[in-house]
Amino acid sequence: MISLRRVWTVAERDIRMFLRYKFLLIMRAIWFIAQIALFGLIVNSMFRTDVQNAVGGSYFNYYAAGIIVTMLYSTAVFIGYDIYEEADHGVIEYLLSVPVSRKELVLGRSIGGGLRSFLYVGPMMLFVLYLIGVSSVLQLLAALLSLFLFTFGVSGFSITLAVSIKSSDRFDILMGVTDALIVRLSTTLYPIAYMPQYYAGIALINPLTFAADLFRWGAGIESAAITPPLLAAFGIVAFFSMFTFLGIFLHERRLEGGGWQ
Amino acid sequence: MVSMNLADLFIMAVVYTNMVNPNITREYVSYFVFFAPGLTITALFAAAFMIGREINMEVRREISHYMLSLPIKRLELALGRVLAGGFRGVIYMAPLLATTLGITYIYTSASPNPLQLLTIITTLSLLSIGTSGLSIALALSTTSFEKYITARGVVYYVLFFCSTVFYPMGLIQSALPQLTLIAQYNPLSCGADLSRAFLLGNPPFDPLMLVDVALFALIFASIATLAYMKVTQK
Repeated sequence: MISLRRVWTVAERDIRMFLRYKFLLIMRAIWFIAQIALFGLIVNSMFRTDVQNAVGGSYFNYYAAGIIVTMLYSTAVFIGYDIYEEADHGVIEYLLSVPVSRKELVLGRSIGGGLRSFLYVGPMMLFVLYLIGVSSVLQLLAALLSLFLFTFGVSGFSITLAVSIKSSDRFDILMGVTDALIVRLSTTLYPIAYMPQYYAGIALINPLTFAADLFRWGAGIESAAITPPLLAAFGIVAFFSMFTFLGIFLHERRLEGGGWQ
Repeated sequence: MVSMNLADLFIMAVVYTNMVNPNITREYVSYFVFFAPGLTITALFAAAFMIGREINMEVRREISHYMLSLPIKRLELALGRVLAGGFRGVIYMAPLLATTLGITYIYTSASPNPLQLLTIITTLSLLSIGTSGLSIALALSTTSFEKYITARGVVYYVLFFCSTVFYPMGLIQSALPQLTLIAQYNPLSCGADLSRAFLLGNPPFDPLMLVDVALFALIFASIATLAYMKVTQK
């Protein structure tokens, strides 16, 4: 039987740990400001009128919403690096000795990883919503709920990879490559309509596409270029379910026995 | 880092090419071709900047004391570190420059003559040395890793986004005219535009581009050398 109290204790620990990475948080904030205030503004004036119309009237708004989802993704994957840090310092053995089941541990970590990402990106998300302007609160709440699931799913994805690979160097390289491809092969930066066919196919099933388009829909960006909200929500639920399940499954089997490099 | 650079070129730039107003990039064939020389600069800058992080760590852990025990003069040690950072950038940049040469040749059927190629390589090498110097000077300005990371972030993004690496100068002038001066004298702009001048014929080559990059290299290599010598003597 899973105890929610114990799950929350694990999640709370991860949130507290994250707040210690001050430099990382500052770096991400600087990156966000530079992306929006410099790159976003200049690139906005580079695109054709039909592109601006296709993305709901302003590429800047479209881009700003996409950057928020990119940040949610990049902060949620950080949980995998935490696992390696713990393995390096022998904390995993300590965690295995505490009266928390493996399922509670991985569930707590997924929730903690997702929540801390939301807590961190929250102020920037509010700023972007202020820039875009919210048209329907209900729509926004539905989108935020899906984004919560998205961040839990990303944390589960990161935990799954970390415990499967058990090598910090390989994990680092894999995450670097994944990060480079998953963001660019999604609609976080541009709509599918302008991608070549061979990229569009991947973007259509990319969880970042679902999250970015759902956030835009929630913020009221009227555009035919975004994925229908029901389909996007379904995609996020599928992503969340798959990686939370895989995370629990692999975490239970592979966490013990050492072998961390 | 390689995957990030290649993804920027072969995914992001390809998609942006389908979205960009053709009037903006007409002189450069397409956005993809325009961005290719910029990619070399991003790769070079990122690789040359890495030495600062290592030197900041060495100072914090006092590894510099071990360095002083080596049979090398302090000036040689300091200058060697600056040049090593620069060479890293050049080594990392080389395959990406070859990719850029290939792309521009495929799209324009033109290739630079040996003198032009030599000028490009010299300029990019100077840019790499200047970047290494900037990174070391920044790393030595504080022993706090958090402060260093923050300063690095500010310098990194301001230099990149206020340059012509991602977009032409005309666009910066019209979208954010306040940044024009920074973008014009930014060594990253000069490096990217000098490469474009010889590879794409636009913007026209201006010797001041080379002077700008040379000054950047001279100033930051000198500051970094002096700062390194001073810090290791503490």
